[in-house]
Amino acid sequence: MVCFARCLRPIIFGIFIFTAVAQAQDSRDAARAAITRYCTGCHNERARTGGLVLNPASIPSPPETWEKVVQRLRMRTMPPSSAPRPNEKTYGQTVAWIENQLDAAAEANPNPGQPLLHRLNRAEYANAIEDLLGLKVDVTAMLPPDDSAFGFDNNASVLGLSPILLERYLTAADRVSALALADPTTEPSSETYSARQDLSQDQHIEGLPFGTVGGMQVEQTFPLDAEYEIRLSFFRNNLEIMRGIERPHQVELSIDGERIFLRTIGGPEDLARMKNPTDGSDAIDARFRIRLPLKAGLHEVTATFLQKRGFGTARLQGFVRSSVDTFEVTGRPHLEAITILGPYKPAQHSGKPGRLNFTCPQGISSCAREVLEPLARRAYRRPITAEDMRPLVAFYERGRAQGGPDRGFQMALRRILASPSFLFRAETSPEHLPPGALYVLNPVELASRLSFFLWSSIPDDRLLKVATSGQLARREVLESEVRRMLADPRAQRFVSNFAGQWLQLRNLRNARPNSGEFPDFDDNLRQGFREETELLFASILHEDRSILDLLSADYTFLNERLARQYGIPGIYGSNFRRVAVTQDARKGILGQGSILTVTSHADRTSPVVRGKWVLENLLGAPPPPPPPEVLTSLPDNAEGAPPQTLRARLELHRANAICASCHKLMDPIGFALDNFDAVGAWRTEDSGAPITATGQLADGTEVNGVIGLRNAILSRPEIFAGAFTEKLLIYALGRGLEPNDMPTVRAILRQTAPDYRIASIIMGVARSVPFQMRKKPED
Amino acid sequence: MFIARKALPRRTFLRGLSATVALPFLDAMGPALKAAAPPPKRLGFVYFPNGAIINKWIPKTDGAGFEFPPTLEPLAPYREKLVVVGNLARAGTTIGDHAVAAAGWLTGVYAKKTEAENVLAGPTIDQLIARQIGQEMVFPSLELATEDFTGYIGGCTPGFSCTYMNTLCWASPTTPLPMEINPRVVFERLFGRTGSSAQRQARQAEDRSILDSISEEAAHLRSALGPRDRARLSDYLDDIREIEQRIDHRQARTDSAEVTIDAPEGIPESFEEHVALMFDLQRVAYQADVTRVVTFMMSREASQRTYPQIEVDEPHHTLSHHGNDPQKMAKNARINLYHVEQFAKFVEKLNTTADGDGSLLDHSLIFYGAGMGDGNAHATDPLPLVAVGGLAGTGNRHVLQKPKTPVANLWLGVAAKFGVNIDHLGNSDGVISL
Repeated sequence: MVCFARCLRPIIFGIFIFTAVAQAQDSRDAARAAITRYCTGCHNERARTGGLVLNPASIPSPPETWEKVVQRLRMRTMPPSSAPRPNEKTYGQTVAWIENQLDAAAEANPNPGQPLLHRLNRAEYANAIEDLLGLKVDVTAMLPPDDSAFGFDNNASVLGLSPILLERYLTAADRVSALALADPTTEPSSETYSARQDLSQDQHIEGLPFGTVGGMQVEQTFPLDAEYEIRLSFFRNNLEIMRGIERPHQVELSIDGERIFLRTIGGPEDLARMKNPTDGSDAIDARFRIRLPLKAGLHEVTATFLQKRGFGTARLQGFVRSSVDTFEVTGRPHLEAITILGPYKPAQHSGKPGRLNFTCPQGISSCAREVLEPLARRAYRRPITAEDMRPLVAFYERGRAQGGPDRGFQMALRRILASPSFLFRAETSPEHLPPGALYVLNPVELASRLSFFLWSSIPDDRLLKVATSGQLARREVLESEVRRMLADPRAQRFVSNFAGQWLQLRNLRNARPNSGEFPDFDDNLRQGFREETELLFASILHEDRSILDLLSADYTFLNERLARQYGIPGIYGSNFRRVAVTQDARKGILGQGSILTVTSHADRTSPVVRGKWVLENLLGAPPPPPPPEVLTSLPDNAEGAPPQTLRARLELHRANAICASCHKLMDPIGFALDNFDAVGAWRTEDSGAPITATGQLADGTEVNGVIGLRNAILSRPEIFAGAFTEKLLIYALGRGLEPNDMPTVRAILRQTAPDYRIASIIMGVARSVPFQMRKKPED
Repeated sequence: MFIARKALPRRTFLRGLSATVALPFLDAMGPALKAAAPPPKRLGFVYFPNGAIINKWIPKTDGAGFEFPPTLEPLAPYREKLVVVGNLARAGTTIGDHAVAAAGWLTGVYAKKTEAENVLAGPTIDQLIARQIGQEMVFPSLELATEDFTGYIGGCTPGFSCTYMNTLCWASPTTPLPMEINPRVVFERLFGRTGSSAQRQARQAEDRSILDSISEEAAHLRSALGPRDRARLSDYLDDIREIEQRIDHRQARTDSAEVTIDAPEGIPESFEEHVALMFDLQRVAYQADVTRVVTFMMSREASQRTYPQIEVDEPHHTLSHHGNDPQKMAKNARINLYHVEQFAKFVEKLNTTADGDGSLLDHSLIFYGAGMGDGNAHATDPLPLVAVGGLAGTGNRHVLQKPKTPVANLWLGVAAKFGVNIDHLGNSDGVISL
């Protein structure tokens, strides 16, 4: 009996192996047969259709070809509908088999890639300054915007340097160090904060005091304990006539919530000044200036109008937006800008605006080291060597000799901020390894990757500590750090940088729907759109929900302005709150004004742009660009002809085979969203004809409207989750993806299916080979 | 001496005026020496995007005294100092449309299709000339633009790096140069921080020592990196040296110039004010002789800007694909005209700014043009192009080349005019001498 189990085991094992091998051979043969049957009829040496030749015996090589095949098969865009297509089961099995081969090859021969030396981009620089020194600085006035590649501006390939850029980083180092140390020679300067011209100021604005309407709030870091002048200016029309001054209004200026003045604008006397509009308006603006002492540091300056009961009945306002044209003078006055000038007459011993508030007894170098060493460690994101300290101490001593310890720290800080160790995210290449070797990043470098991924900034002390001690290399420590970082307020930067670029929310800034067609659209709505989508993304992140909720969440975040745009009753006030979505069509981002507006033209919707946006960002399958010499604009309605719907005009795409090959992928998706107009409002008609929101997707699915489209996307959740994971990996690595990165994406999907929780996907990225490792260059 | 003071009765300036303290970047360090030397030659390139309605742009007759086309009408007052060059073409095909149009204008090169770091265009003519004539300048060249491209995600030509559209200027085939859009930043770069000359000298010495120190550190860091990263850090070391040279040039400046401009506050919301400010900064930069070469991208390729101020509500790029619809073409031509109007205001200022024995315009050569012919088809030719200024040679001419002459041929002629010897540029196959 003893023998039975022992002797039989090899036999059972043998049978098992035999079966497994046989099964593997079966699926291999089936997949190859399917490819031969459905693909190589066109993609063979002779026909070379689309320049593509497929040899099923070569799978998985070359990976770039077979990854492309996988994508087309997954999307069901190949074979074309005019040719025989496999059934769903064969589709699934063939894709699975090719993927398995690709994944096995990648596992046997992993390639984590070699991201280039990465300069801190503008956003990362600003965040690093805030985290290092506790200073909020307006970095847009110091550094130029960064190029982007593969959809993100943190891509190392475009984060190079040029003399101009270096000059700007050096100037920034000078400015920031002067600010941090409250340089007493700081010259007065001015900052102007302007409201956008299409900001409606006849309602309460989010964040401003209750009982007020319009106005604006700015945050500024004041450099010294000194006097500052604050000036308000008010909106004038094209003829320099100040707006809204027939009647008196109360203007309140406050700093950090405390009232500084309450003054009157408007009334008969001001109105009389408009006989000479420029001088009269200048004279009114001149009344709203005040000079006052303020402490160094961050202050919140608010200027707004007190609400007046019953006001507004005299004006017939046809639109939500309060200033439809630039000649308008009726209604309420609008604040145009807040200007802050200073510092004047700085105090003898000023406090410092940031966190760098310490005192060192005159002339004690050890104290300087105690201050500078941790500062440099955080700025350089690694342990500090004697060699690092030498120049810092030298600059400190030099400055101290000129103007005392603060001057010394200013010089040393300037040196830190100009350092290549601060400006570049360097990852060292181990000497002892042969070219082409793979190696795991050291935990200190990994800490930087994590913090720039999730915080767009430098690591904090704790992260650096677990990295320096080597613990970050342990899986459970990595996981707990990722969770901690996602729970930290700094993760908001991930929301605005990642989601803002992935979903193109940043483009809202440039959205200027025509006031002729969309007279209600104003800056309040533009800001609201962005806020809604960011809040939804943030809630999914913070509650660790499924990424699929981005499409299907039964809640969203609204204020009165947005609810009015969506036709949702019962929501009052400017503050955003979580609201249950009861209209099925509004669920998820496909029903949100942000996405619907950035994918529209100024005068109308664009089903093509919307379709392309969905394919590119939600399905990970960007369509190729239109061929050259093809007219990509639509003919207008012929003169005198009955108006045609956009859909009828887009039918042209079907008439031409070249156009149809891509537009049949894009247009139906866009049509499904056509019940939303170019600013996200619901509509049932276009040019007097009812909207037809039906269409056939590439895989043959018939959809009707946004709900049908959403269900179709959700019925293949791995495609949407895959698109999200790809984008996330590009963002995390700061490089474009190669075909041999796709096995990584699929591995993360397998680990996180079927829930696809966002934190699990982020964790999958953080644990992945390309995030954890590098390849030593071959040359 | 640079004196920034109240100049123009326009709101942007007026508002900024008393708000700022803009002192000279060099106070009197020596007597004015400029009277002795002949006035320097200035070079400028002004770019507009999305091609043009060609039949309204290009003159119908050629040679001297040509028939002035409607789109160029705002420049008519300067026709004696103006030459239209016809039948020029950019390199390559229409594949890559807006990206290759911007990247090809000053390079003569058909930009490589890539989204990754291996971007490849060519050194631009402005940079090649600046390298020769600008070495003594505080800024060998200036690169300016108006559009903040960070709000244009996904708005680049598919397959082509956004870089190709975000800049017109390349220091080398692989080094695009960023263009500055913020007038205030330009002002501060040009005229520096305020303070007495002693303070400024001390600051410059400090700048030098910081640069020396970081270049040591960078050299050390370099040894720990892989080859590609090492190359990137080498560029950084070169950049450090170039900035050191600039500091030296600034310190060496002992002459003085008086310019009139207020410190701008930032980026105005109005396009027209923004463009006017950028042009004014170019004028004073020429006038103060801190640079002799400026490239200005007035608007970006594929720009979707609308122009309600001239009653054009459709986005520029959309209109440029007019499909030969007369209404759309009329609107597109209106935008073309509007851009020329803005440029003409700059020309007028150059014409009224005294410089040596004449005006700044007399001593300048400013090109105004595009890297695309008819925007509807992303055409490679004929490119709209006009040269303005005393250095354009005999004025009032329409110089017609044979069809599809590379625009690079013209740039070679320009280089020669500035005493810079370049034998070819991109796809050049000859030299056009104005």
